[in-house]
Amino acid sequence: MLSALLGPDAQRRRLLKKAPAGAMREYLATPFPDRRSDIYSVPIVSVDFETTGLDSKADRILSIGHVDLSGGEILLGSAAHTIIQPDTSLSEESVVIHRITDDEAAFGKPLETSIAALLEALAGKVMLAHHAAIERGFLQQVCRQVYGLAPVVPVIDTLSLARKWLARRNKEVEQGALRLYALRERYDLPRYNAHNALSDALATAELFLAQVEHMDSSKPPTLGNLLS
Amino acid sequence: MDVELQEIQDFLAGIPPFDRLSAEVLGRMTRQLTIRYIRRGKQLPHEKESQALLYILRQGAVKLFSSEDNLVGMLGEGDVCTSFCMPNGSEAFRVSVAEDTLVYAIPCHVLEEIVRDEPSVADFIQHSAAERLKQAVAAQQHAASQTSSLMNTPVAVVMKAGVVSIDEHASIQQAAVVMSDKGVSSIVITGPDGPAGIITDRDLRERCLAAGLSASTPVSQIMTGNMVHVAPNAMAFDALMMMTRKHIHHLPVIDGRQLLGVVSPTDLIRHEGRNSVYITNSIRKAESLDALVELSRLVPGLQVQLIGMGGSPDHVGNAVSAVTSAFTRRLIELAEEKFGPAPVPYAWVAGGSQARREQMSNTDQDNGLIISDLMTDADREWFTLLADFVCDGLDACGYVYCPGEAMAKNPTWRQPQRVWRDYFDKWITTPEPMALMLSSIFFDLRVIYGERELLADLRGDVLDQTRSHQLFLAHMTANALHHRTPLGFFRDFVLVHDGQHDDTLDLKHNGLVPIIDMARIYALAEGIPAVNTVERIEKAAGSATLSKSGAANLLDAFEFIGKLRMEHQARLIGKGRDADNFILPGDMSRLEREHLKDAFKVIQTMQAVLEQRYMAGRVG
Repeated sequence: MLSALLGPDAQRRRLLKKAPAGAMREYLATPFPDRRSDIYSVPIVSVDFETTGLDSKADRILSIGHVDLSGGEILLGSAAHTIIQPDTSLSEESVVIHRITDDEAAFGKPLETSIAALLEALAGKVMLAHHAAIERGFLQQVCRQVYGLAPVVPVIDTLSLARKWLARRNKEVEQGALRLYALRERYDLPRYNAHNALSDALATAELFLAQVEHMDSSKPPTLGNLLS
Repeated sequence: MDVELQEIQDFLAGIPPFDRLSAEVLGRMTRQLTIRYIRRGKQLPHEKESQALLYILRQGAVKLFSSEDNLVGMLGEGDVCTSFCMPNGSEAFRVSVAEDTLVYAIPCHVLEEIVRDEPSVADFIQHSAAERLKQAVAAQQHAASQTSSLMNTPVAVVMKAGVVSIDEHASIQQAAVVMSDKGVSSIVITGPDGPAGIITDRDLRERCLAAGLSASTPVSQIMTGNMVHVAPNAMAFDALMMMTRKHIHHLPVIDGRQLLGVVSPTDLIRHEGRNSVYITNSIRKAESLDALVELSRLVPGLQVQLIGMGGSPDHVGNAVSAVTSAFTRRLIELAEEKFGPAPVPYAWVAGGSQARREQMSNTDQDNGLIISDLMTDADREWFTLLADFVCDGLDACGYVYCPGEAMAKNPTWRQPQRVWRDYFDKWITTPEPMALMLSSIFFDLRVIYGERELLADLRGDVLDQTRSHQLFLAHMTANALHHRTPLGFFRDFVLVHDGQHDDTLDLKHNGLVPIIDMARIYALAEGIPAVNTVERIEKAAGSATLSKSGAANLLDAFEFIGKLRMEHQARLIGKGRDADNFILPGDMSRLEREHLKDAFKVIQTMQAVLEQRYMAGRVG
């Protein structure tokens, strides 16, 4: 079957053969959830990175936030937030945006252990992010540096779900309408004051629950319906 | 605790009862939450839920329905749905999502474990409305006793110790000498069994000099025996109330047989400023209507002051009603001075809140005259003059005319006893809407001045009839059920029965009146002569009509709502505005709203019991 050869699980198995021992091999050794599964039976991790910029080659990750979803619930007990130790001092711009100072960053963890922990959290699950290209891009770039290979990561992107939803209704996408907080407003979700990796991961997870619940289907969508 | 979940933890910290939890406990609770998004039209709990959950609404709204599918409440942002955590099942049978809702959920047993060291939070989760209300009232009373000095100061602390006393065989002159020597205005007379009586300066003047009695007469002849007294551990506030009610200015403090001291209003004034005894005393001395009108300006301040002193609604209602009665009495005395003595015996009766001793701010007057059947047509003129003088005087003092004309000024309510007897017969045997409307005034009567027997006779006969008259009680019940409590609050609105919203809550008609009405029915059904709501409920407790626990719950609700209303009025008076009964939900704390909701539940339960008892299959 074509999808078996080209699908993410097939890629995963191929990559597994090349993976060094440790977090990456563990990650690749765990099968991905079945695309035909009802979305509420799929384990999902909502992830957000704060970065110094949008270019995964030139910029770097400042912090990682993630929280699990299971059975249509966000599990706050799984929430995690990690500040990454910088190798160079922070650019002033990102300090202004993310309010992470050198002092705070000094308490952070090394990039290698942080990424290993994230891979562990992601094993056997689907990654959820808003504008997921950023998170996937940075994750793969970091993994190339650390493990010498970029993993395959099944992803659901709340931004692309929103774009499809609007396109199906022939609605014009206004400037800024697809931003996380603009979309949350559309579903009357609460306004959060904090702006950091974990609160954005949470905000994305809540948005995702609202998006799924608002889909016009009699039964929950399958994972395959939602994957990017 | 990850600082990043702070947003959610902060949200919880603003919601009772979780606002009582320490940051550390709240942090543990936050990590046990799950977040769900539920669409309008769905039900709680989720179909596949394996364990009972407590829900905290972050966004959206849910409706609670009873097993009969009646709407019993609505919850919005920041409200907590405990329905599924109550061990004995809850009032809410079905929870339906009314708006797309984001909820925080936590298994009941997990939360119970986390809040184990916070009993008040555990109670909130597991207890019924009545149980929570009981605790709220206890907390309220405790807070009041902390802030007030008279409420928690025993009489023994404020009394003058080392009472001046003299043997009962001593002469009046000897007593006067001792009083002058010691510089006191009263002296206690002791007999073989301890304190036997008291004489005051006034007695020397009125009972001795004015009466032309010899100074060698034994003091026992002019003393006031059967002294009203208090125990040393009685609270100063209660002593003050007793003196206000009985118009006495020296209250002996007696422990068993031993006289410890005397407490006077002056002692209490020293302790706590101006008070009701001072006002009633001045009223009794007022020589003109103008002087009374002047004094009536002190009444709103009195109410504020009593509340500040930590008075319960019962205490304050008592004091304010006592002042109204003092105005009424003084006006009658002035009328008798002006028009001469009454041609035949009569009783001036007050109705409504004054009679129940539940008056708060100046309200309208409800009164009537029960005149002896000996009255001739020629005597009528005198009573017309009396009624006009007193009702006009009360109006001038701020007790405005009754809009329904339930006043002695109206000839209908100025009648011989036999006519009153006919009125009551008619009201009881053929209850019609008008009669039922009047019932809140005329089934609550108290003699303010005159011949008490005139009312007592009438009341005895009335109670003999009402007790056995099921149809009358059914009509009274139907009438009482017109005043419904709201279901609760939804956002900053009052949620009323049909799911509609009101902007303000009428604490009187939607809170106190339903209880007052029920208490009246208990009294009429059980032949209880009391008219005060608390007394009625206490006396009816444990009877066929009212269970003991039902009575205790109603008293809690009455006190809680009464206190809220009283404080609301004190705030208005403090701002120089007229006191009213309308409170905005947004002006109450979340906790007060929670407790009010519990009080409403208690009232609804008791209304349902009454309805079942008297109306099942009777009146539609």
